Formats: sequence, structure tokens, C-alpha cells
Amino acid sequence: MNPEPFLQLDRVIHEKGRLAIMSMLAASPELSFTELRDALAMTDGNLTTHIRALQETGYVSVAKSYQNRRPLTTCSLTAPGRKAFADYINLLEQIVRQNRPK
Amino acid sequence: MYLDGGFKRENVQPNASGKQGGKKYALAKFGFAAQSNSMNPNWAEENLQTIRTLMERSAVYRRALAPIMLFAGVMGVLAAVSGLLFHLDSMPAFGALWLSTAAIVVVEALLITRRQALKDHDPFWSPPTRRVTQALLPPLLAGLCIGGGLLIVCNYGVDLYASLIWVLFYGCALHSAGFFMPHGIKLFGWLFMAAACALFSVGMLQEIQFGIHEVYGHWVMGFFFGVLHLAYGAYLYLTEKGKNAA
Repeated sequence: MNPEPFLQLDRVIHEKGRLAIMSMLAASPELSFTELRDALAMTDGNLTTHIRALQETGYVSVAKSYQNRRPLTTCSLTAPGRKAFADYINLLEQIVRQNRPK
Repeated sequence: MYLDGGFKRENVQPNASGKQGGKKYALAKFGFAAQSNSMNPNWAEENLQTIRTLMERSAVYRRALAPIMLFAGVMGVLAAVSGLLFHLDSMPAFGALWLSTAAIVVVEALLITRRQALKDHDPFWSPPTRRVTQALLPPLLAGLCIGGGLLIVCNYGVDLYASLIWVLFYGCALHSAGFFMPHGIKLFGWLFMAAACALFSVGMLQEIQFGIHEVYGHWVMGFFFGVLHLAYGAYLYLTEKGKNAA
């Protein structure tokens, strides 16, 4: 088995919490912090940590605004984030193809 | 090896192989495989499946509902006024008026949705649109069959009950669609269902106890499908405008 694709997996995305966040954001223009937290059953602290990690890598952008006088935090994928996610998926597909019995 | 992402940990029993089960994470239910390079052949496939599920769940139906609600409201009020002005009180006339109004609203709603999809360069028949349609269809068809059947079978005096059946099933449809839509659609559905049940009881009581029957059908339809839609459309319009401004 060729270990090469495994070694190329993006370590930032290759963590189940961050991968879940990236998956959700990849399918939606933007999601609020609350929507992400509820959908992934994460605590505020965990989600904040993961989003910060993704933000520092430049994969996710965070916007803060107000809705009905309440603070609203929305997250979305950046262009590099979308590309990194697509690359990650491609690698997974490559691994699947590689392991498929011939 | 698990990469600790800081998830909530719970103690679990050792697994069947005798190894320590390790930690159980809140995200475990999504089924992401252990973050290891153990090269388990199924690992990548499972991860892809989970990613697909999460992406599908995340795709919420986000088309602007305000214009659809406002159009439905205007049509509802116009139909009610026409029914009352022209005394369309016979059951066939009542049914024809409201079913043709519903058909016009459905066609226009589809056109508005299509226009928005084209404007956003999105596919019209997207997965969220499909899911919302699938959620709406069964209760709407049930309401159409039962309410329409009642109007066909009975020649007189069932306009109120047919209206309330439509209101009830429409509420059920909104509630079902609310699982894939924002903006408190589920609450709007609950309002329709609760009001229909309450009015049904009052109407039955009035007829059974006092033998009173008034022609309320157009009023009920006008209020629920006209006034309430107008109010909800105006609310959505103002809140969406506010959100865009923010």
C-alpha cells in the first residue's frame, strides 16, 4: 500500500472536530456559531478553539454583527479553506480508490 | 491514536479486543473514524460518507421567503374579498375559488424560487429545495384530498370545516418544512395547527349545541391564508432587510 496520500493529508483539517466544521461550512455560504454548535453538539469552548485554529490557518473567516440587538457570529470558508477542503476530499477519494479490491 | 481536540471525555469500558476504549467524544455520533494513519481500508470511505452527511445536513433552504409570503397573502385577501363580494357560498364555487387561488400561488412561488436561484447562480432543483418539497407534499396532498372531498360530498354548510382542514394540514406542512428552513416556519405552522383545532372545536360546539351555522369559510381562509401570510411576509421582509444592513 502506498502511504504517500496519508502523508499529504492536511493535519489542520484532519481532526474530526475541525473536519466536521469544514464539512458544514463547505455546504453553506455561512453558518452562525449557534447553528454550528447545535448541529455538531459541541460546547462553546471546543467550537471556539477549533474555529480559532481554522481562522489562524486562514481556512475560515469569522464575522461579527448584530441581529435584533444580539451579537451574531457567522463563520464561512475562505477561498484557501475551500481549496484545502477540496484537496483533502480528493486525497480521501484517492485513498479509497487505492484500497478498492481490483 | 486519537488526536485530542478538546472534546468532552467520558469514561468507557474497554472494547472487545481488550484494549482500553479510550475516550468518547460528543462528535462520535457523526462517525468520523479514529484520526490515525492505521491505513484501515474503510477509514477513508467512512470519513467521506460522514462528510457527505454533514454537508447535506448543513445545506439549509435559504431562499428569501418574504416575496412568496407577501404574494400568497395578497392573493388570499383578494380571494376572500371576491368570495364575500360575489357571494360564492356554494360548495363548488367555494372550492373552485380557493383551489384556483392555491394553484396560482404555488405556480408563482415556484417562479419566484427559480428567479432567485438563477440570480444566485444556484441550481433550481437543489437538495434543500428537494427536501423542502418532499416535506411539504404529503400534508398538502392529504389536506387537498380530505378538504376537497368534503366539499364534493356535502352540498352545503361545510365551508368552515373544509377551511379548517386546509388550515390544519397547511400548518402540518409548514412544520415539516421547518426542519429544513430558518425563520421560525415551524412556529408559524404550530400557529395554524393550534388555531385550526381550536376553531374546529368552537365551530362544532356552535352547531351541535345551538344549531347555528354561519358562512365563515371565506373569513377563515382570508384571515389565515391572507392576513397571516401578509403579516409574516412583512416580518420577514423587515428582518431580512435588517440582517442585510448589519
